[in-house]
Amino acid sequence: MRAFIGKISETHIGALLALSYLLFSAIFWAYPFIWLIILSFSDWRFFDAPIFSGLHNLVVVLSDPEFWGGLWNVARFFSIYFPIAFVGSLGFAFGLKHVGRGKTIIALCFLLANISSGVAFSLVFAKLFSSTGPINNMVFSWFGFRIPWMSNPTLAMLAIALVVAWKFIGYYGLILYSGLQTIPKELYDAARLDNTPPIVRLVRITLPLINAQLIMVLVFTILVSFGIFTEPYLITGGGPLGRTNTPMMIIYETAFRRLQPSHAAMMSVIVAAVSYLLIRITRKLLEKDVKLA
Amino acid sequence: MILRAIQFLWIAGSMVLLTSCSGSHNQSPPQAQIIKLWVGPNEAEESFWKVAVAQWNARGQGLQVSFTTIPTSGNSEETVLSALVAQTEPDVSTNIFSGFALQLADLKQLEPLSSMPGYSDLIERRHMAKLIESWQINGTVYAIPFYSNPALIWWRADILAKYANHKVPRSYEDVYELSRRYAAAEHRYGFQVFAGRSWEDRWFDFIAFYYAASNGRAYIEKDKATYDNADGLKVAAFIDRMYEQGWTAADFDAGDPLVSGMAAGAVHGPWDLGTFQRLYPETMKNIVVGPIISDAKPEAHTATFSDSKGIVIFRSSKVKREAFSFISWVLGDEHLNLLWLQKTGMMPARDDLLRNPVFADFFDTHPAAKVYASYVDVAFPPALNENTIDIQKVMTQELVGPLVFRTKAPQAALDDAASQTNRLLRIRQ
Repeated sequence: MRAFIGKISETHIGALLALSYLLFSAIFWAYPFIWLIILSFSDWRFFDAPIFSGLHNLVVVLSDPEFWGGLWNVARFFSIYFPIAFVGSLGFAFGLKHVGRGKTIIALCFLLANISSGVAFSLVFAKLFSSTGPINNMVFSWFGFRIPWMSNPTLAMLAIALVVAWKFIGYYGLILYSGLQTIPKELYDAARLDNTPPIVRLVRITLPLINAQLIMVLVFTILVSFGIFTEPYLITGGGPLGRTNTPMMIIYETAFRRLQPSHAAMMSVIVAAVSYLLIRITRKLLEKDVKLA
Repeated sequence: MILRAIQFLWIAGSMVLLTSCSGSHNQSPPQAQIIKLWVGPNEAEESFWKVAVAQWNARGQGLQVSFTTIPTSGNSEETVLSALVAQTEPDVSTNIFSGFALQLADLKQLEPLSSMPGYSDLIERRHMAKLIESWQINGTVYAIPFYSNPALIWWRADILAKYANHKVPRSYEDVYELSRRYAAAEHRYGFQVFAGRSWEDRWFDFIAFYYAASNGRAYIEKDKATYDNADGLKVAAFIDRMYEQGWTAADFDAGDPLVSGMAAGAVHGPWDLGTFQRLYPETMKNIVVGPIISDAKPEAHTATFSDSKGIVIFRSSKVKREAFSFISWVLGDEHLNLLWLQKTGMMPARDDLLRNPVFADFFDTHPAAKVYASYVDVAFPPALNENTIDIQKVMTQELVGPLVFRTKAPQAALDDAASQTNRLLRIRQ
């Protein structure tokens, strides 16, 4: 036995350890993805065998105004969500860095939002933002008007962005915090000796040195923007007037309500391709290879 | 290295594919035949089926029935569909709405029940000849309606006593008058007009109001929208006026408006009777049930929308005849229909509810349920169309939504919704 173990090289052990991940990917990623590609170019309605249909699904999806509306809503969501999530998580990371005691508890409190049930908190926020809900009742009693969270397209999107940001700020904040921890204190000491103002220290030292973490957060916000489902589905139902309808909601309804899985598969492929492309462009433009001398 | 990894993934994927395919050829061990039944996933329905299935199995006159609730975490349709794709569907399922039945029939997944021996006898025995008409797909019935729940309006009797001289509103004018007196600007409202943002919610606002205004005229006929007419305009003008005057709110998500008194009236189905009795007994004491408002004469028996679900047999079933015998027994037995009524509060889909002495005691002791029973004969199900979801999404986005958010005039909203629906249905043909 010992002789046998002796013969196994490190490469073999590494391959064996990697096998579980590769198998997992093969079953839960590669297999469904291959099927998704096949279905995108097929005519299939759940029960019959898929028949190759060329670019028909692509034409159907690209001529669907609802799908384009969904993609436009992603852009609208991102333009509201990213600044909130970015500023919030940066603030959280800086705050955590300056906290003396109880860092773990504070971090856990913020992470709780991330692991909470999306359905549960969406229902709570739907009640909070309701035109007859507590926030509006308070605003009405103080100022005599109500905020049309659910009836104004921009405010409805803002409501969803606030909820999603609330969920992710702790998570993104911890990523940024880990980046802040790697910046040597001496750099700041030297900058202070040169009388560098705080804002310059932030722009010239801190942000460039946590570039990797910032890009990671940016990539995550792009992914979240394309992937949100629960919050708009439960809080606004895609309304008002379809202005919070997201690609995931459209894909779900196309597959399981309209019973057109091939169209839904093509939508998924397009959404995946667009989000992948955006991430590649983002990284190409903004990612820097930061090295401390 | 990357190429090797991709190669490996392909091989592993193919292995999984082959394994799963070969698995389907395995023969499962022979089992005693039973009828597998899925029922609506709620406590009330489950308690009915417990008794009904136990009685059937004790009779020993057919195959034994084994039931479970539809194993759903989301909606029933999605679960039934997944089961059909995975070939794990039961023989029989309840809780199927007419539009979904049409989709499944179109995909050849349902057994035509109207060609089963004993079908005509069942329809006659259950007094549902008129009700079944709206469930026919080209003359064939694939789903038999199990219950038919009229949508009616609940009013707070204490509010009506103070602001409407005890009069239950029946017309648009009645609602305007009540709202004028009761609704203080943005603080409380006369009536909940907008049922919600989801496409299903149109059943409980525009469609119910349109049925009431048009005496049950179909809103989609031969793949065309038919609601762009004088009756549709009356409904649209009513919604518009309620929002223009601030007599109703864009949503009541914060809590039930009847419980809080935020609104004096709201549309409800009979399934809410039990829920309210359990959760809000004090509010329930003050509830009176009235018809859907319209401009019909006060004595008119106003039509409304029926939230109705049916029972189907899947084509893959090996025990179709036996399953239909069971269905016939459950649907046709008056005492089981009474038990259904007692357990769920929902109206069995039969038009003799108020004439049949079997139900008399129940309705004598449940006056609100009796009002619902009196509207079963004028309660119309949704338009039988495969594109139900898109028809009602257009209705939401082009008609009801713009009226609620006051971005379109009633006639313009009606025109836009009808023309967009027609365009959509033309493309889908």
